[in-house]
Amino acid sequence: MATQHSKAAARLMIAPAVIVLLLWMIVPLVLTLYFSTLRYNLLMPGGTPFVGMENYQYFFTDPAFTTALVNTLLLVGGVLLITIIGGTLLALLLDQPMFGQGIVRLLVIAPFFVMPTVSALVWKNMFMNPVNGLFAHLARLIGIQPFDFLAVAPLASIILIVAWQWLPFATLILLTAMQSLDSEQIEAAEMDGAGALSRFFYIVVPHLSRAATVVILIQTIFLLSIFAEILVTTAGGPGVASTNLTYLVYIQSLLQFDVGLGSAGGVVAIILANIVAIFLMRMIGKNLDA
Amino acid sequence: MARSVTRSRKIVNTTIAWAIGLIIFFPILWTVLTSFKTEAEAISSPPSFLFFDWTFQNYEAVQERSNYFRHFWNSVVISVGSTILGLAIAVPAAWAMAFVPGKQTKNILMWMLSTKMLPAVGVLVPIYLLFRDMGLLDTRTGLVAVLMLINLPIIVWMLYTYFKEIPGEILEAARMDGATLRSEVTYVLLPMAVPGIASTMLLNIILAWNEAFWTLNLTAANAAPLTAFIASYSSPEGLFYAKLSAASTMAIAPILIMGWFSQKQLVRGLTFGAVK
Repeated sequence: MATQHSKAAARLMIAPAVIVLLLWMIVPLVLTLYFSTLRYNLLMPGGTPFVGMENYQYFFTDPAFTTALVNTLLLVGGVLLITIIGGTLLALLLDQPMFGQGIVRLLVIAPFFVMPTVSALVWKNMFMNPVNGLFAHLARLIGIQPFDFLAVAPLASIILIVAWQWLPFATLILLTAMQSLDSEQIEAAEMDGAGALSRFFYIVVPHLSRAATVVILIQTIFLLSIFAEILVTTAGGPGVASTNLTYLVYIQSLLQFDVGLGSAGGVVAIILANIVAIFLMRMIGKNLDA
Repeated sequence: MARSVTRSRKIVNTTIAWAIGLIIFFPILWTVLTSFKTEAEAISSPPSFLFFDWTFQNYEAVQERSNYFRHFWNSVVISVGSTILGLAIAVPAAWAMAFVPGKQTKNILMWMLSTKMLPAVGVLVPIYLLFRDMGLLDTRTGLVAVLMLINLPIIVWMLYTYFKEIPGEILEAARMDGATLRSEVTYVLLPMAVPGIASTMLLNIILAWNEAFWTLNLTAANAAPLTAFIASYSSPEGLFYAKLSAASTMAIAPILIMGWFSQKQLVRGLTFGAVK
């Protein structure tokens, strides 16, 4: 049906989007790679000599790098664990008949729409503050010592905040998937005498596995780049206790002005994200054929 | 659901679900309530939930502290501007890919998606330096461009999945009836495409409004949207809980309401059509 003429028009219509994205991807990427091979600090005047892999050597031998890498993985893993398990249970609950289902749904998904800096600051000050926070009030009420969350367990506290933000996303996707489950299948299993648990593990869980995979992959992409929550709560501290890879690169490039080192860190972050991206792309691509 | 459920079971479900829903929503509710307290009441122990002297003074104080509405307006300009610019580029592209698919269509779509996988921090340094050299640091123009680019893949994908659902037969029927290309577009295609475009627009305004990497790193006092403005409360100054709450309430209220209307689009947009 498509004529030669309409094909040309189509190419013209697609061109702007392709061109801007191509520029957006190639130019900074090439520059990052290039900068990562230079000794380039904005505070040091003079040349920017080529130093090969020196920045990478520096970056990998920096003890902060190991901490940041472990923290990144803990942050992603911790949030995924909470949101997938919590999201499945919540989706299961919200799928049951009840009064005011729509309103409960609105309450549950609300945190997703709160901007990261707001949720982080509200949790930090109004809940986790060891003197005036709500948790401290509660602790005093039952007679235990208030806990200084962000000083004693900074990473765990950030995981809690980020999990609160992402739980709605997991719940919403899993709920959408659950609603496409054929209720007759469950009824048939029920009639054959399958208990609630075996119905859950043999029918619901396999049905949800695809949606859960999508949730895991997409959240991982976003969670690898957690930044604002760390910036406004702990600024990566105490020390580097809550610094992730994104934050480490930010410190090196925009606070210490070490363009070369920051770029090397950026390249490492890109490689890490790409490992996840390959799996995600494969899943989405399969769906495109269907 | 054709299954019969006993009334008592339904009441149990309702109770548990509401309890959990309220716990999850509580931080937001608490922020809104605190925004109407005085600073002293905001930190009083034990805290008061509803029985305090309601006051609007924090909202005034926030505006006085540093022109709140300028930052609010920055957020509006940046999120709406980047979305409209993105739509202007994405609508023709998605349209062409949905209605005149070629051999490369799938590859182009997948490639666009892959640009979304590029972590922001990987290109932070060159973008920062380019912006500095081009005088785009701390300008709304710069942020509109960056946010448009990071959300463009999502916009194209969402539009594509919507346009794909418009049946091609309708176009053929219109053509058979002698419709010109122009009337085909205005009377047949546009009315069917508008809901999808509106949903895409809504979701992208939400995403741009809450974006907190580039907005924090590329702005200072001038172009800072609300994400960056709220971050300035991270270095406390005396009693500030009630003011923080007031600033936060105003920052999240409009987007929360839009978000509640766009639940379904959220699933479609953020899973790139992989979950419907």
